[in-house]
Order: sequence, then C-alpha cells, then structure tokens
Amino acid sequence: MVKFLKPNKVVVLLQGRYAGRKAVIVKNFDDGTKERPYGHAIVTGIAKYPRKVIKKASQKTIAKRSRLKAFTKVVNYNHIMPTRYTLDVDLKNTVTAEKLESTASRVEARKAAKAVLEERFKTGKNRWFFSKLRF
Amino acid sequence: RTIFTSVHIRPHPGRISHILRSEELGLARRVCPKPSPGPPSLSFCAAPAPGRSFALSPPHLRPPRPHHRSSGTMVAAKKTKKAQESINNRLALVMKSGKYTLGYTTTLKSLRGGKGKLVIIANNCPPLRKSEIEYYAMLSKTGVHHYSGNNVDLGTACGKYFRVCTLSITDPGDSDIIRSMPTE
Repeated sequence: MVKFLKPNKVVVLLQGRYAGRKAVIVKNFDDGTKERPYGHAIVTGIAKYPRKVIKKASQKTIAKRSRLKAFTKVVNYNHIMPTRYTLDVDLKNTVTAEKLESTASRVEARKAAKAVLEERFKTGKNRWFFSKLRF
Repeated sequence: RTIFTSVHIRPHPGRISHILRSEELGLARRVCPKPSPGPPSLSFCAAPAPGRSFALSPPHLRPPRPHHRSSGTMVAAKKTKKAQESINNRLALVMKSGKYTLGYTTTLKSLRGGKGKLVIIANNCPPLRKSEIEYYAMLSKTGVHHYSGNNVDLGTACGKYFRVCTLSITDPGDSDIIRSMPTE
C-alpha cells in the first residue's frame, strides 16, 4: 500500500551486464513515458566495487583501492530487486534523462556520479551499499 | 563446424535466483537460530548460514535444529475446515465485487505501485518466489496471507479453471477479507 520505489532507494539489478550490482534510484517513472511505456527508473550503481582496505596499508594503496567505477542506466522495474536500504545522495541534477541521451554527456554524468559515490564510500557510511553482493 | 558468435557471454540460467538467494539478500533462507554477524542482515528472514546451506551437509553433522516458529517463512498452521471455508467465502465475494489480480507478475506490479491491499500465496509456491513476494509486501506494508491449499485449490477458490499461485487484492469490494484476514 506504500510505494517504495522512490529516489534514494537501493536496489539490486537482476538482469543485463550489471546483474548483481547494487544501485540507487535517481529518478523513477512509475507509469513510463512515451518511449518506454513501462515502469522504469534511472539508476546509478557501482560497476566495479572498491576493494578491501585494511588500516595497515599505506595511504597510496588505500587511495588506489578505494576507487570505484559507477554506471548509470535506465532500467525496467522488472529487472530490479528493491531492498530495504536507502542511500542519501543528491544525484538529481547530475544524472538526468537528457544527459543519458548522448554518449558524451553520459560519460560526464557517470564521472560526476563516481566522484559522489567515492566520497560517500570514504566517509565509511552505507557500508552495505559498497560491499559486493556475493552470489 | 561452429558458427562464430559474438563475444558476449551468455548469462547462465538461474542467475536471478542466485542473486536473490545470496548471503546478503538472503531470500528463501532456512530459519537459523544463529545470531547475525556484523553487517545488518534482513530481520524478517533469519541470519544467513555461514557458508553452505544445511541441506548440503550430511544429517549427522548438521547442528541440531530447535523447533521454532518464525513469521513469514514458516507455513501457516493447519487451518480448521471452518476457517478455510470462511476464507473461501470471502475470496468469492472479492471475485464478485472487488478488484484483484491473479498471477506472480501482476501481483508484483500491484505491490510496486502500492495498489495491493492483501496478497494471498498458495502453499506450494516455490520458497524463493514466496520470500520475494513477502519481501515486496514488507516494503510496501501490505498484508500477506498464506493460503492453506495449493495453487490448484486457490484457483478453484477464485472460481477459475486454472492454477493460481499468487493473487493480489486491490479493492476488496463488499468483502471484509482485509480487515479480518490479517488478524487470524
């Protein structure tokens, strides 16, 4: 009775190249659009998870291993598994539907998303989101 | 003579179930008495087993499983004939006067859209699918009723000539199924 597919919801992708990866909903279209007449959402997720970091490692190693690769995707609701987690990131303006239309702006949006996510990872919050889902 | 195909690796079948059954999402896990380790595990499904599921280890090596009930994953207690009839009556009334959707994909759609008011699952629904629907219902704060009968019985109770494993009631009409069912 409550809609739960909202921005900032963490989901797991079930299909496609990014199957098994965790992502955040940036914008959702419950009723679809003209081009996509089905419920879908723009998600930003982690393509390559940051690697494990231990305290003993040097600053250089930590910096290198804390890098992650992000992806942005428009994905059908059927190919998503929602979770009970949320991730408070403001990606509304960096990742938009029009940015995803052309390749160049898509790359830009992805880089901006990567920066935001990396920052969030370094604060140590939302640890579940940045850990790889083992399956 | 092999035909050259693209380099794209075919997704192996069962990948979705692998993802849903993974340690962290933990759907369709057996209820386990162990406390959960560090990272938060789902509270409604029990903590994931450390590695292999118990079904794979020989019986004499398995840790003794105490009898316990857990809401959601355990099958509902055997219904009395009277209770069963009353559910069937209420369902029939919903079929006549209310709005509903039958089937797995449409119940998921109704849950996602927040339209479902009550979800009924047959008892022979595969455990992974059952867990998935319960999880969706938990997220959308929708009640779930485990029908004590299999999909054939549920289909008959709906007045249909096909099997129904899951159904979602979006508008109960004249029936009081939503008010009375979750309390039973």
